[in-house]
Amino acid sequence: MRTTQRTPVSVHGLTKRFGRIRAVEELTFEVRPGQITGFLGPNGAGKTTTLRMLLGLVRPTAGAALIGGQPYPSLPHPRRAVGAVLEATGAHPGRRARDHLRILAQVTGVPDRRVAEVCDQVGLAEAADRRVGGYSLGMRQRLGLAGALLGDPPVLLLDEPANGLDPAGMAWLRGLLRDLADEGRTILLSSHVLSEVAQTVDQVVIINEGRLRFAGPLEDLGDLEASFLRLTDASQSSLKEVS
Amino acid sequence: MTALIANEIRKLRTIRGPWLLLAAGPVLVIVGVAGEVVGGADLTQPQPAIHAVAHAGVVSLLTLVFGISAVAGEYRHKTITDTYLATPRRGRVIVAKFAVYTAVGAAFGLLLAVTAVIATAVAITANGGSLDLSNRDLWRTLAGGVACNAVFAAIGVSLGALIPNLAAAIAAALAWIALVEGLIGEFLGDLEAWLPFAGGQALGRLPGAPDISQLSGGLLLAGYAVVFAAIALTTSVRRDIT
Repeated sequence: MRTTQRTPVSVHGLTKRFGRIRAVEELTFEVRPGQITGFLGPNGAGKTTTLRMLLGLVRPTAGAALIGGQPYPSLPHPRRAVGAVLEATGAHPGRRARDHLRILAQVTGVPDRRVAEVCDQVGLAEAADRRVGGYSLGMRQRLGLAGALLGDPPVLLLDEPANGLDPAGMAWLRGLLRDLADEGRTILLSSHVLSEVAQTVDQVVIINEGRLRFAGPLEDLGDLEASFLRLTDASQSSLKEVS
Repeated sequence: MTALIANEIRKLRTIRGPWLLLAAGPVLVIVGVAGEVVGGADLTQPQPAIHAVAHAGVVSLLTLVFGISAVAGEYRHKTITDTYLATPRRGRVIVAKFAVYTAVGAAFGLLLAVTAVIATAVAITANGGSLDLSNRDLWRTLAGGVACNAVFAAIGVSLGALIPNLAAAIAAALAWIALVEGLIGEFLGDLEAWLPFAGGQALGRLPGAPDISQLSGGLLLAGYAVVFAAIALTTSVRRDIT
């Protein structure tokens, strides 16, 4: 089995306010290499904002978001250190997928032959010469993953990567992520589909209203759905204490 | 920086929209020159001939929109996320876009100038005359037209970076040129000549140009371009991508 440099991901006292809205508040957790960590929380809990702060797209109001101990913008070759698929990641509908990936390969600093390799890896080899405008949601997700994998990065940050995938696609994604984690990569993925998360992840981080509710192994939670609902129940948010 | 410039060229080469937009340019120039003839202008005279070739500068509205699409187009299609993930020092991306879009604007302006000269020469020859190519004002007008196309492309890049909503940025730019600058000018009296589009009109020797020299117009427009660029660079570096 091939291995990769082990790179932890961590946030320390991370805080983001948009005007008076507290999107993320004093968030601290660590994501370990070699495992898949699920990043869970209700809509508006601050997951996407946290991922964007990890990627340098959103400036923290306070605290630090670190990739292997460094802020993302300080990484010498950021796309070779971190692969990211965000909801906000897109491709021009008039551009062919292969051209889209060649553009990314150039700024990732990898040769064009990586484009064919990642297309094979995500199952887009046949469709790579089509324009992205004709792609299904599932194919767009695969294209996003292909872009993230171009730089063979030790860290993957994935926002709802299973969105739009059919059941076979989800099973494929689960296998792919497991292989990538077994190579020593650090994988953080956000999701709403708890049943899917329960089958995929080793560790869980749950946030609600921008604050940490739980961080630990999946098995410590027992029934994931029941625990999730208890930990993120807004009516009890002031009473909750996680041990 | 070389890699970023190469990347911007690669981005442009793999989509059709900007090229379809620019393809309208030579057509509009030919229609403009034909319009002068239909309107009864005698293109064998120096001044009407200059009016005819000035259409090369009029069409720089297209390079303005082309420039706007550089950054605002990336927001529209959400490719800006990948772009900034690859180059967290965002100012470098914007600088590369300035270089590529200004160069394309200049090349496009050159194409328009050639089209304008040919169209005007054909129109004159059809009436049995010949275009007086020794007229220095004719060449100065053409050079101004080329410069207009380059500078408006650069201004477009800044506008798209400042107003990342593509439709809003284009609407704001066109509204400024068609309406707002004229309204503001009414309050400014003689100072009206120092507004940005007035500078462009003087540079390209367009109809309705204010009474300032071509060189002053060019320097004025270039000055605005530099100020806009500075504001665009500082704001896009700080803006949250959500």
